[in-house]
Amino acid sequence: MSSEINKILTTDGIPLEESLKKAERKNKIKAFLLVSPLLLFLIITYIFPIGEMFTRSIDDKMITNMLPNTFKSMETWDGQEMPEEEVFKSFYIDFKKLVEIKEHGKLGQRLNKEKNGFTTILKKLFRQIQRNKIDESGSFKEQITSLHKRFNNVEYWRAIKRTAPPYTMAKYLKGMDLYLDEKGEISQVAEDRRIHRILWLRTLEVAFFVTIFCFLMGYPIAHLLATLPMKYSNLLMICVLLPFWTSLLVRTASWMILLQQQGIVNDFFVMIGLVTDDSRPEMMYNKVGTYVAMTQILLPFMVLPLYSVMKTISPSLMRAGKSLGGTPFVAFWKVYFPLTIPGIGAGCLLVFILAIGYYITPALVGGASGTLISNQIAYHMKTTLDWSFASAMGLMLLTGVLVVYWIYNKLVGVDNIKLG
Amino acid sequence: MKKLTKLFLALSFALSVTTSAFAVVAVSWGGAYTESQKLGYGDPTAKKLGITIDWVDYSGGLSEIKAQKEAGKITWDIIDVFAFDTINGCDEGIFVEFDFDKDFPAAPDGTPASEDFFAPMPSKCAVGNILYSWNYAYNKNNVKGTPKTIKDFFNTKKFPGKRAIYKSALTNLEIALAADGIKPGKGGEKIYKALETEKGVQRAMDKIKALCTDPQGGCVFWSAGAQPPELLMSGEVVMATGWNGRFFNAIVGEGAPLVQVWDGQGLDYEYFALVKGGPNEADAKKALAMMTNTEMLAGSAKYIAYAPYRKSSLDVIKAGEPWYKDGKTEMMPQMPTAPANTKNYFLVDPFFWADNGTELGEKWEAMKAGL
Repeated sequence: MSSEINKILTTDGIPLEESLKKAERKNKIKAFLLVSPLLLFLIITYIFPIGEMFTRSIDDKMITNMLPNTFKSMETWDGQEMPEEEVFKSFYIDFKKLVEIKEHGKLGQRLNKEKNGFTTILKKLFRQIQRNKIDESGSFKEQITSLHKRFNNVEYWRAIKRTAPPYTMAKYLKGMDLYLDEKGEISQVAEDRRIHRILWLRTLEVAFFVTIFCFLMGYPIAHLLATLPMKYSNLLMICVLLPFWTSLLVRTASWMILLQQQGIVNDFFVMIGLVTDDSRPEMMYNKVGTYVAMTQILLPFMVLPLYSVMKTISPSLMRAGKSLGGTPFVAFWKVYFPLTIPGIGAGCLLVFILAIGYYITPALVGGASGTLISNQIAYHMKTTLDWSFASAMGLMLLTGVLVVYWIYNKLVGVDNIKLG
Repeated sequence: MKKLTKLFLALSFALSVTTSAFAVVAVSWGGAYTESQKLGYGDPTAKKLGITIDWVDYSGGLSEIKAQKEAGKITWDIIDVFAFDTINGCDEGIFVEFDFDKDFPAAPDGTPASEDFFAPMPSKCAVGNILYSWNYAYNKNNVKGTPKTIKDFFNTKKFPGKRAIYKSALTNLEIALAADGIKPGKGGEKIYKALETEKGVQRAMDKIKALCTDPQGGCVFWSAGAQPPELLMSGEVVMATGWNGRFFNAIVGEGAPLVQVWDGQGLDYEYFALVKGGPNEADAKKALAMMTNTEMLAGSAKYIAYAPYRKSSLDVIKAGEPWYKDGKTEMMPQMPTAPANTKNYFLVDPFFWADNGTELGEKWEAMKAGL
């Protein structure tokens, strides 16, 4: 009796709970169907390529399949002295097979990435095989090492041994100037080739300072925009947006014209007597140039989120703060500033993430210090065709951004981001 | 609405016609260079063969074509590439291998194609197009005296002021050694022999480092070909290495007060490669053979100061002087291969760079980071 009373029924006799669930389920399916194109889009354009990048960065099966005999015979070789005849023989057999199916060039490309200098010596071996100059009954070790002095260098054979495993972390290590030596231990690359760590630090430094400068300049501008009467603020808004709509290269080139040693800004300094003609300060092709140009280019990304947040802050709050006895500064610091933090968070994160992947502007205006990690990625994509290394560095950069995001989340909280 | 749909259909039809399967797609670097190729031999060839050749711009490297190949949809037929790229592309199986004497016509006097080329091809997948020079120039209004040699480029005592050099190691290491007293030898072989050793590389890096850290000197690194003449004209640097065609255009085309110095120049080549499995391979092969014949190659020198790859083309230019499009400038003395310009030069060695490019690139960046 009592349970029947407790169950509330709808007019057609179905318990309300069930009926509600049914309606909700319909809504849920509808909602899912609505977002499914976006979900599909994200999977196809984002998650799938990142997964592909990851497999590419660790996959080293191609060479494992190319030199099966060599790797087998190398298993017992400790990598100290030159390998035995057995290794040379199996290398010759593998290589000859590759020549027959015309894949030897690919092997040369792959090995040259491991150790520079392989392309030439493998071409030499290829030509010998083509002309049938290798006597298959004689000693392979003698014949191969006499082709080029590099074949006699144990470093090259170690490099081959290093490529044996089908999956490898070598590219990630290389991105941090490390490598696996023949004993399987992680060690540093030679000092005159440690370049990636410098580039990572430089990239972070540039992104960090550009974010700071953008914040320092963007905050007052956004405040002015939010508080001026509509008539003036619209004009100011156009001033912020106009450069935003101009081509990136045009803006970069204009900074070059303005800031170079014989440029307009320097001419002006000389004219007003600030500096003498032969001690014009260098403001281009160094870090100053990079910071100035990048700050100007990324400024709108800071101003817009800040503006949209400030616009929602009622001016009466500041007045209330002041009427309660706070100086203008205290009122600003205790009332206004905390309210703008969501905008600051959004702006800083946007600018920082954009800056960390920038490269055209620093490459053009940065001089010797203009190479950032993204330039290196582009270089391996386009010139050396080492896509697996480029993928590895791309993923490292992505991880770096995620770490920044995580730290930010711990410090400020992602819920506090507001883009408008 | 119906009207809009119709318009859209018409538009897409028009688009599909212009990018139809019948056009041979040739890819090159754009700007004045592509212009010289299109006017010099692209259009005449297309007219003679009754085909269409579309010229598309790219910024070098094999990444795009490799991506097209991996995606299974190749849209390019002919690519204008560096020697380095023809070697890599050939190894990766991207390009078609040629039989030079069979695939390309002989010179008018009957010399087979392979002997008519200025130098042997770096790979079987390349056919020579032009020779250009990495030389240097100065602005005569900003330099006291006349720099004459590659040593003068590094002589900051005699010629104080900043220099502009190329952003990466390519050719910089070579000129550094040439200026440091190594005689290039035949085609620069001695320079490359020195660069094979650690000591030689260090010596070259030190020379560049000394120039860049010298308070009387200093370096600006350029990346785009248009930069060197620009940097010279604005007075930002007193001397700049660069590509001779760009300097020529600034001097003859725009009347800039620049002077080119040919001592210690690096001769480099530009090639065409034919994409394996391109959308129009058969037509493209025919077009390529015609574009690189004696007459046609000479045609491009009407528009730009780069030397045709065939020796016989030079005779065509000689006979037709003044050859430049303005009808009064003689082109022969402007060629990087002119006898007066090749007294002391090196040939940029693609094999050396294919082998050592990555490692030297890392060392170069590490050196730059320490400036």
